Amino acid sequence: MYVKREDWIPGNFKNVPDTGRSTQNDIVQHGWTPITTTTSVLGVVFESGVALAADTLTSYGSMACFQNNPRILTVNQNIIVAAAGEYSDYQFIRDIVEEKVRTEKSLNDGISMKPKALHTWLSRVLYNRRTKMKPLWSTFLVAGIQNDVPFLGEIDKLGTAFVDDQIANGYGAYLALPLMRKAIDEKREKFNSKLTKDEAVDLLKKCMEVLYYRDARSHDKYQIGIVTKDSVEIQNLVLKPNWEVAKLVQGYE
Amino acid sequence: MFLTRSEYDRGVNTFSPEGRLFQVEYAIEAIKLGSTAIGICTPEGVVLGVEKRITSPLMITSKIEKIFEVDKHIGCAVSGLIADSRTMVERARAESQNHWFTYNEQMSVESVAQAVSNLAIQFSGDYDSKEPAMSRPFGVAIMFAGIDNNGPQLFHLDPSGTYVQYNAKAIGSGSEGAQQTLQEKYHKSMGLNEAINVILNILKQVMEDKLSPTNIEIVTVTPDKLYHMLDKDELQEVFDKLVPFPEETKASTSAAVSGTVA
Amino acid sequence: MDTIIDRGAPKARNFEPYASNGGSIVAISGKDFAIVASDTRLSEGYMIYTRKQSKLFQLSDKSVLGCTGCWCDTLSLTNIIQSQLKSYLYDHNTVMQPNSIAQLLSTLLYSRRFFPYYVYNVLAGLDNNGEGCLYSYDPVGHCEKVNYTAGGSSGVLMQPFLDSWLGNRTTDNPVTEEEALSLVKDAFTAAGERDIYTGDEVVYNIIKKDGIQTGVVQLRKD
Repeated sequence: MYVKREDWIPGNFKNVPDTGRSTQNDIVQHGWTPITTTTSVLGVVFESGVALAADTLTSYGSMACFQNNPRILTVNQNIIVAAAGEYSDYQFIRDIVEEKVRTEKSLNDGISMKPKALHTWLSRVLYNRRTKMKPLWSTFLVAGIQNDVPFLGEIDKLGTAFVDDQIANGYGAYLALPLMRKAIDEKREKFNSKLTKDEAVDLLKKCMEVLYYRDARSHDKYQIGIVTKDSVEIQNLVLKPNWEVAKLVQGYE
Repeated sequence: MFLTRSEYDRGVNTFSPEGRLFQVEYAIEAIKLGSTAIGICTPEGVVLGVEKRITSPLMITSKIEKIFEVDKHIGCAVSGLIADSRTMVERARAESQNHWFTYNEQMSVESVAQAVSNLAIQFSGDYDSKEPAMSRPFGVAIMFAGIDNNGPQLFHLDPSGTYVQYNAKAIGSGSEGAQQTLQEKYHKSMGLNEAINVILNILKQVMEDKLSPTNIEIVTVTPDKLYHMLDKDELQEVFDKLVPFPEETKASTSAAVSGTVA
Repeated sequence: MDTIIDRGAPKARNFEPYASNGGSIVAISGKDFAIVASDTRLSEGYMIYTRKQSKLFQLSDKSVLGCTGCWCDTLSLTNIIQSQLKSYLYDHNTVMQPNSIAQLLSTLLYSRRFFPYYVYNVLAGLDNNGEGCLYSYDPVGHCEKVNYTAGGSSGVLMQPFLDSWLGNRTTDNPVTEEEALSLVKDAFTAAGERDIYTGDEVVYNIIKKDGIQTGVVQLRKD
């Protein structure tokens, strides 16, 4: 652990990984703000896999700008990733992840990335960027199968990373997460088991509908990605909202 | 041994077809020109003794230093190119302080030897810095003596960066004969005073000049006093108490006097 | 009448590199043991990220670190410490003792004095004599050896509670393991009532000569 003489500062003996703020000579741009944004993503673990849901709308402020921007990425036969937040930052990460997967495939050794590894890798990338005060303004959900066990984890733009059986962000955390927790807890309490695949997909469909009613940045076209031990599939779906309930809302006449 | 000189002599990083690094071997030869230094590790502590070569009566002998304090609990004796040794001793001191600063504990003697050995092989360029720290191997042999959690320890480090733990070790011009005598005299239950006596006797055998309290340096590292260099009076005392070996074993004194090597 | 309509265009926002993710730590050291406990709620604002995130990190077979605050900093700091511990093992051929880990942690935290790791640390372990030891930190590396401590979002709630029970203990009346565990449980139950950032579950580690014993206690989940 040798520190070069010219780098010696009293008390700074230790080589600590370089994660300090960018130097003063750099042009530091403050007030970094997301421009093209996407709304909630949902993820739920079921008995044999994990399902993610996210709509395909990219907003430009309040304008529903691009209506067919998918944001569930099939990484390999073992992992899917969904993103929320700044769409260009998702594209940036997607390109790097795809490059990693290509490199991995070209080795042709039959070894592929596992979800925990990608989850940790993303947490390091996002943490390093936040430490440089140049964040990637995105939240990622990583879903996959890790040694035959379903895995679902989130990483936010700071590098805050955790794992759980049901995750939602943005408005989803307020509107959908309670529904998801309720469904999972009820199933566990009544039947001592996890959701089936169909129950999980139905749950996500219900949650997407609820979000569509109240989240102004949501959209009726959405995707559900399902990863199980032997398959990855992404379904393109369209909501059939029922606005009959609108009549029941009072006070806006 | 070195009659056939070849282009493999030149590069410090080039192996000869026989698989040798000549420059490193030459550096190991260079330390055999240095003044004799002896270290003995006993259960009571470690003793280091060195000869000072007084090449001129006008020299201020007290200013010749061959044993250095690395930390409170570690000392080191050097032989060979003293100028090179300064760099290494400084590294040893820095590493030791760094360790204390970061971990709030005394660095072990072996770790100090390890840290300095990292420097010793940096003539070939560090893994993370493009420029090597030195253009040639250091022409120094060092003995690290100290007390740590494993008790009294003595380590020897040579220019190739190899470090080995010893019970007793001699380096420098008189080392061959001295090592032979150490092998005969060393025993596991040796006391500190006996060790000092053995060192004085061996120095007496191998030194060209007549042994006196002014042309030697002795350091003890013990659990209670830690690093302690014997002052003038203490040196005189051990000198007066010197008990000669029963039968003087003639050691070969093949010391070559060199201007650059002290 | 104000005619300026806010169309919801992106507003200039300064990026905030820190988040407060809640969580609390309580630790008590005794004659031959140390106990350290954390809740398992990970949250931000009114949102609970997960109900099962322990904030205890086992560093060796006789030391455990409790770390709360900004979760992304917690993840980084604990990973750096763990890799440093590994290097130390390889460099010096010994497992790092708790007093050395304590100093290392202080050095690491202070190395980021001007962009701190926003975390509250409590290091619990058994020292060289087999006695329980505890070190409490602030985010920039101030380190203090204590007999008991509470930190994190409910630190200010639980510390006075511990003070009243343990503040004037003498050496001839040392805290027992059973007493320490029940104090930990009570402290968290109380904190769970008043602090929304502390709840769900408590996980505790009791560090003793022959190993680390773990346990879970349920807390309020609202």
